Amino acid sequence: MAQKVIKYIGRTTDFRGNTLWELVSNLPNWGVGRLLIRNMFQRYPEPCYMRILKVQSVDEQPGEIRKVRVTVEKTWRGVTQPKPVEIYSTSYKADYELVPQDQEAKYLNNKKKVEPVILPTKIELPPLLRELVSEETGNPNPQMKVHYKLTDNKMARLAKDGEKPTVNFALGVGQPKPVSAKLYEGLL
Amino acid sequence: MLRAGCQLLTQSTLPTGKTVGNSFALEFVRWRRKPRWLPVAKSKMFRVPERKKQSEEERTELMRLHNQYKTQLRSVRQFLREEVVRHEETSTADHIVLTPEQEEAEFQKCLDANAAWNAAIAKERDQRLAKKREEKVAYIQERLEAQQLREEERKEQANQRVLLEIERSKNYITRENLDAAIETALANPVDHNFAIDMAGNLYHGRSTSQLPDATPEPNQQVLSN
Repeated sequence: MAQKVIKYIGRTTDFRGNTLWELVSNLPNWGVGRLLIRNMFQRYPEPCYMRILKVQSVDEQPGEIRKVRVTVEKTWRGVTQPKPVEIYSTSYKADYELVPQDQEAKYLNNKKKVEPVILPTKIELPPLLRELVSEETGNPNPQMKVHYKLTDNKMARLAKDGEKPTVNFALGVGQPKPVSAKLYEGLL
Repeated sequence: MLRAGCQLLTQSTLPTGKTVGNSFALEFVRWRRKPRWLPVAKSKMFRVPERKKQSEEERTELMRLHNQYKTQLRSVRQFLREEVVRHEETSTADHIVLTPEQEEAEFQKCLDANAAWNAAIAKERDQRLAKKREEKVAYIQERLEAQQLREEERKEQANQRVLLEIERSKNYITRENLDAAIETALANPVDHNFAIDMAGNLYHGRSTSQLPDATPEPNQQVLSN
């Protein structure tokens, strides 16, 4: 059934929907197997959704919005995480929405993926540090390794051998993306 | 400021005999807006502040700049952290700060010295072993020659004994000459009795002979040990 349109007056928020407890507490079998989305994540063109695997209720705390522990299979921008994720600390946010079963195909059939961002493995040192290291070692152009830790929600990665980076890390402002080029009119 | 101005105007009307410093006073206006204890103004009662929305190009550009900056800063911090770790390792071990190149050179120098020592000791060992081997060869040769000499001497002695026995075998009593030997023994009786004095002199023969044919004649002979 479609959401009722409510006109709010006052300060605005980007959240739209219900809290997680309001959804799962009204579903048969706690909604196991159903698809959930967060409206904040729908700003990406790639699909972001979660499938409920297990629900564990938590007692209501006085004066607080009720929370609930939900174990989900999370798909983030087209990439499904290999391990289930538990949602608890963010379950109070009124941003969750249940996907109707007849509309689940709209998310499951969306095959868009983020273009991989490849980082260089070595970049230049900052100016003063470069002067110090150059004076100490005699190397006129010392380089340092790019420290980048890969986690589940990150889309960039370091370049492998023989691979060309897609991002330029030269010192300075660099080249903006096409959508932001007009911000630098008259400067670059 | 209006009150300050009024005060100044009031000042000028006083008699000139009084001291200006003591009577001068300046009062400031404390609030330029409504005081804090007054409630919300009626014109502002139901105003909702508008939440400004960031433009897409600005958001994209700021995200790009911040991502780049954060990656660079993280790399610099990691670079400095590794520098500190390397410094601690080198300074703790030798109390001397060595760069990786110097450390490698030092290690190579140690390897060279070790190789030189090994070569010298190997040479000495070879000489010692060679000398010992030669001594052993000489000793074995000497033992072999001595053994040969002993063998020859033994053969010579054995030969001598054989020859001696051959010589003595001529006087052996055999079956053929047994009767002749018996007759010779009967013809030549031997008396083994003798007397001995204090000086060890032997006196063969006897006065009262038991044998009928014996000749009684004293025979003096020194006893040999």
